[in-house]
Amino acid sequence: MATKIPRKKTIFLVRLMVIITSAYFILFSPSTNKELEIYGYIFIASYLLTNLIVAYIPEKFFYDDKIFFGFILCDSILLPAGIYFSGYIGSDLYLMFFFIISLTTMSSRFGYLMINTLFFSVIYGWLLYQKGFLAGPMAVGYLIQIPFIIVIALFYGYLITTRLRDKDKRIHEVRERYEQIVQATDVLMSIVDHDGKVLFANQKLLKFYGYPDEKSLSGLTISQIYNEDETEAEKSLSYVRSAYQNNDTVHYESYDKNHGIWFTHTLSPIRDESSRDIFAVCIISKDITDRIAKEKNLSDTIELLRRTRDQLIQKDKMAALGRMASGIAHEIRNPLGIIYMGVDYLENHLPDDDPQIRETIEKIFNAVNRADNIIKNVLSFSRQSEYKITQLPLCPLLDNVLTLAEQTIQKSGVSVRREYDDKLLEVAGDYNVLEQVFLNLVNNAVDAMKDSKEKILAVRAYKLLAAEVGYKTGYRQTDFFRMGDEMIVVEISDTGKGIPQDVLPKIFEPFFTTKPVNEGTGLGLSIAHMIIDRLSGTIDVESRENQGTTFFIKLQPICKLTDTRGGT
Amino acid sequence: MTNNIKVLIIDDEVDFCYFVQKNLMQNGPFEVIIATNGKDGIELAKKEKPGIILLDLFMPDMPGEDVAAALKENTATTDIPILYVTALATNDDIADSKENKIGNNYILPKPVRTKKLIEIIMKILGET
Repeated sequence: MATKIPRKKTIFLVRLMVIITSAYFILFSPSTNKELEIYGYIFIASYLLTNLIVAYIPEKFFYDDKIFFGFILCDSILLPAGIYFSGYIGSDLYLMFFFIISLTTMSSRFGYLMINTLFFSVIYGWLLYQKGFLAGPMAVGYLIQIPFIIVIALFYGYLITTRLRDKDKRIHEVRERYEQIVQATDVLMSIVDHDGKVLFANQKLLKFYGYPDEKSLSGLTISQIYNEDETEAEKSLSYVRSAYQNNDTVHYESYDKNHGIWFTHTLSPIRDESSRDIFAVCIISKDITDRIAKEKNLSDTIELLRRTRDQLIQKDKMAALGRMASGIAHEIRNPLGIIYMGVDYLENHLPDDDPQIRETIEKIFNAVNRADNIIKNVLSFSRQSEYKITQLPLCPLLDNVLTLAEQTIQKSGVSVRREYDDKLLEVAGDYNVLEQVFLNLVNNAVDAMKDSKEKILAVRAYKLLAAEVGYKTGYRQTDFFRMGDEMIVVEISDTGKGIPQDVLPKIFEPFFTTKPVNEGTGLGLSIAHMIIDRLSGTIDVESRENQGTTFFIKLQPICKLTDTRGGT
Repeated sequence: MTNNIKVLIIDDEVDFCYFVQKNLMQNGPFEVIIATNGKDGIELAKKEKPGIILLDLFMPDMPGEDVAAALKENTATTDIPILYVTALATNDDIADSKENKIGNNYILPKPVRTKKLIEIIMKILGET
């Protein structure tokens, strides 16, 4: 039915009017039959009682036509009973009864109205006959009332059906307009029930998923139509339920693997006009593949800009550091030069055979040497102003580093293990600086195993997808690698004495060293860290005392930007 | 006396010049003259025609490179070998170069010991 009348209300109204008119007749009846009057009161009381029962029957039962018209029919039979008890039969007020019955035609079924009218006429006719009205002098007058009722019912029924037909036509027009909108739209549109079963789908959706017509969708859920796998289906069903439960619009995005298309879905609950209950959910699915591509593009561009900006800042920093380093180098090495020459002069003038003097001079030279080494390191780092970043074959580079360190390795009795996942791994970097970093780490590793029983240096190289980031001592990983990014990892591990936990966080700090004075400047790892940082990579360390240390160097697999940092 | 090698040292670090002078003269057949700025250095070179010039790269009045260029231009001094003795190393090659050379000039980073300085001077003079 296109139009819906609140049926429970109608029934209530009918029954209320039956009670009012019956009570009226009983009170103002000219009859003196007290016995009938009592029956009349009992009738009204029980009728009120049944109304209470009606109040507790849920609305939806009244939309079952059989129940609804059953009620109306029941009332049509009970009404003459009321008239009978009132003893007021024969009054023209019978028309009141009829209008009450007519109210029920608001339920819009012409056939039911006529059946009801006939029922009422028969019972009324029988009542008249029973009371002897049809035998009296006014017989024709009473008899004519029955066809009169039927004629009025016909007329009334006709009026209402015509009106309803007009109304239906208008509804049909509106419906058609909406239908046109729904079908003309570029989005996939469907209406689903609580379990995701499709109640309606627009042409666009049918065509997109290759269904000939709406009927071929019957019994299918929206996930089945969208070809979703189990987890996806579970997810989309949960969104449908959420729209139901929260009575609110839900948005989500999903990827259609079969079509290679990104969708954004909007789920809006559809409510029943009268009850305001949600009985379905409208799903609008829009193709946003272009937008996603543009977003990706944009975020890539932002990423590139960010990198460029970082590099510019870094370039400035390096230039400043270079200037400062050169200045310091000049200012310190000049006095150092004087000290050297001065001590040489003293050496020539002091007695040779005094061991204390020779020792003192030796100590001065060592001290100057130490200072000079630090200056040299800082200078050489700050002078690496321009990296030539290219795609480098990694394994030959590592092999070369091991060859360079061969002498130290053999002398220390260290055995080398090379574990390359793939001989053809490539990284983005500057050959010389990477060599410097790896050589530094290899030398450190060999050093650390000086007093170990087992001396194994393992060099590993493999590919890894960034998943868990920034979890060790190194930092800035999140700046260079995003979840899912490919990284090339180089591991250099030893079975040496390890690094104490309290020292671990400090090892990348400049000038931090645990080596004895004269053996290390404390710049090796900090320079390695800065170099790897400049190559948009990370360096981490894991260490256990007396078990060994592993350095993890994560590098970019592909050149993203050429490093053009200016020099000093 | 005529066998002595005349060394001209041009450096604004007066103390350095003084010790180099003393040390060289004590340890070898050297005669050392000193200029504490570029201009004086060029004049002295022209006048004294030293066998070798030790030149600082960074001096207040003019950079060592300019001094070297001026010396090369002058016919009287053009053949004198130059050894840069400098605290300011501006190129990776300087520190790491085993040849102690940039282009045609020799270089020695400060600080340097007398023994090494004499060794290099002798090497240069042996080559030329």
